[in-house]
Amino acid sequence: MNAIETNDLTKVYSNNFTAVNSLNLEIPKGSIFGMLGPNGAGKTTTIKMLTCLIQPTSGRAIVGGYDVEKNPNEVRNLLGMVPQQVSLYKDLTVMENSQMCADYYGVPKDERDSRILDLMELVDIKYAKDKRVGQLSGGQKQKASLVASLVHRPNILFLDEPTIGLDPTTKRTLWDLIRELNDDGHTIILCSHDMHEVDMLCDNVGIINTGNLVAYDTPQGLKDALLESNRKDITDALAKISDESEKSISHVDLENLSLKKMSVLLKSSDDGIIETISKSDNVKSVEVARNGRINLRIDSFDDMAVHNVLNDIISSGGIISSIYTEEPSLEDVFIKSTSGGSDDDRA
Amino acid sequence: MIEPNKFWWMIKKELISLKRHPGRLISILAFPIIMILLFGYGMGGEMTDLPIVVVSQSDGDLTDLTLDTIKTTETYHVVEVIDSLDEGKHRVDSGEVKAAIILPSDYDKDTSQQKGVTLYIDSSDQMAAQILESSTQAIFYRISNMVASQTSVSTQDAHIQPSIQHSLNNFKDDISLHINRIYGNIKYIDFLVPAILGMTIMMSCMMGMGATIAGERETGELARLFMTPTSVSTVIGGKIAAKLLIELVRALILIFMAVLLFNVSIKGGFLQTFIVLVIGALCFVGFGIMLSARTSTQEDYAQIVLPFSMPMMFVSGVFYPIETMPWILQKIAYIFPLTYLNDAMRGIMLKGQTLGDVWLDLVILLAFTLLFFIIGVKRFNRDV
Repeated sequence: MNAIETNDLTKVYSNNFTAVNSLNLEIPKGSIFGMLGPNGAGKTTTIKMLTCLIQPTSGRAIVGGYDVEKNPNEVRNLLGMVPQQVSLYKDLTVMENSQMCADYYGVPKDERDSRILDLMELVDIKYAKDKRVGQLSGGQKQKASLVASLVHRPNILFLDEPTIGLDPTTKRTLWDLIRELNDDGHTIILCSHDMHEVDMLCDNVGIINTGNLVAYDTPQGLKDALLESNRKDITDALAKISDESEKSISHVDLENLSLKKMSVLLKSSDDGIIETISKSDNVKSVEVARNGRINLRIDSFDDMAVHNVLNDIISSGGIISSIYTEEPSLEDVFIKSTSGGSDDDRA
Repeated sequence: MIEPNKFWWMIKKELISLKRHPGRLISILAFPIIMILLFGYGMGGEMTDLPIVVVSQSDGDLTDLTLDTIKTTETYHVVEVIDSLDEGKHRVDSGEVKAAIILPSDYDKDTSQQKGVTLYIDSSDQMAAQILESSTQAIFYRISNMVASQTSVSTQDAHIQPSIQHSLNNFKDDISLHINRIYGNIKYIDFLVPAILGMTIMMSCMMGMGATIAGERETGELARLFMTPTSVSTVIGGKIAAKLLIELVRALILIFMAVLLFNVSIKGGFLQTFIVLVIGALCFVGFGIMLSARTSTQEDYAQIVLPFSMPMMFVSGVFYPIETMPWILQKIAYIFPLTYLNDAMRGIMLKGQTLGDVWLDLVILLAFTLLFFIIGVKRFNRDV
């Protein structure tokens, strides 16, 4: 069962700008979903539609079984939101802010304070319950924000850059907390630019670019797909080079191809080959290791860059034995998926 | 539907904020006091002690009587009585004094001819010149009546045409004028205070409301509220209730200070004045809501509100009667709600009218209020 489902969800603003374009998304109940995308890709607009802050232009969004347009209040009751910018009243204490949120969500009076205190215990902020939010540190503010967002026991929790600007220790504490909340059954939608965070925490990741969902899978699935894609790109490049140069290229072992950093082992190499590679437009740096491997840093993810580099090696007489790179990271996936997007400044 | 519990939180939040920021509280309380002091003392007072010299070229009882009368008149501060005409004119020309009253050498002589007293005046200071001119006319009118002789006063404008003398009047006449002031002897401060109360409420409501809405939108607090299952009207209503409460306290301080400092009379009673101010506050809070409905930052709001608040301040008859303004400004005045608030306030405070007497002003204010709220809530969306 899905916590969130969208069908051709579209938002066109009054200036005819299409921020989200026929988005189809499924977020399984009880999962941690990472929503990625470059700035202006349409993430914020998507979240605003899912949290009933704005209405879709067309398409449909079902949150917790409710249509966001037909049953906005039911949807709001199911949602919690921890925004990037801590939006609690700075002059009120953590307790007062949480009480206010609870009352706005209609939490029964007799349960309200005990719920808040339990949550404070969970996120370890009880010691600061009577402190004004304005007096808290960044991490404490995020914890206070979490309490205020969870007080009505939402099924679905949106976290927008929850660890931005936090020190590594506080970050880890929050990560643990996110896992705990997920273990308790909360579906979590995590928007973050911290790829490590998303890779580590999320069950599924969706990458939005120019208002479209351009990739969706588990983090490992996305990385594996990139690896396969890279392998294919290199195989295609080698085959093309072979056709163009009418030279037969012997078998090349391809491993973990992120295309960013490439290590090439030649059956034989000389200074001439190294010099040719160094002069290649697409190569940022060349290092020759003791075992003879040539470590290259390529300046782009352009498939043609790889083709050009391999062509330079082969045309200068190099015989490639193997190509090895670091395992693609989620960042590689992100960059690969979002390169070539529009420069429009999306909401 | 409006939910009282959420309403109350808005008020509570404002009160807690004020309690925890004594500086802000003092500023809120001090603002009306400063306004009333500034306008009351700065603009509402009468002009007195204007520096003059008297050039006395004559001697005798009439001259003594005239000098005594001039010296005891509050309008003047007689710097010196001299006999040199040139020096007198020089002192006016140099700006040392505002005017010279010149009593000619034949002033005390018993002649059948008119006596040519000259008021040599610095007309570049229009306000002072006007007051000096009318005061001097009044003095010589009194003196001429007292001595039952013919005296004439003429003025010379030191800056425009010093040589031209014109006869101001031939004071003595047979007509007796009785002035019946139907609302008593109303001073400028009395005229000013009701409108100052209205203007202060207008400024603080419009500025404060926008700052609250735009400010909370900017910092994200409004977004959090809108993510809860709460209607826009409840959120806005709560904000209005909180703002209104503060403005009412301000209004009370304003009325209290006006009475205390300037002995302003409230002929129509305190309660009626207060009710009119409440309606005015509601109207301007609505105006603020309407303007801030789509404003994303406080800075933007400040820019948007100025073109409304500034003209309203000067055109709505706060400082001068609307009827004395050019016709185009008179037309504009009637599209501003402050005009109606001022009219109602003056009706209640100065004329002793009742709410029923100023019903038209109140109905127009309430209509404006309704219009502002409808537009405000309609324009307001959750997209924060």
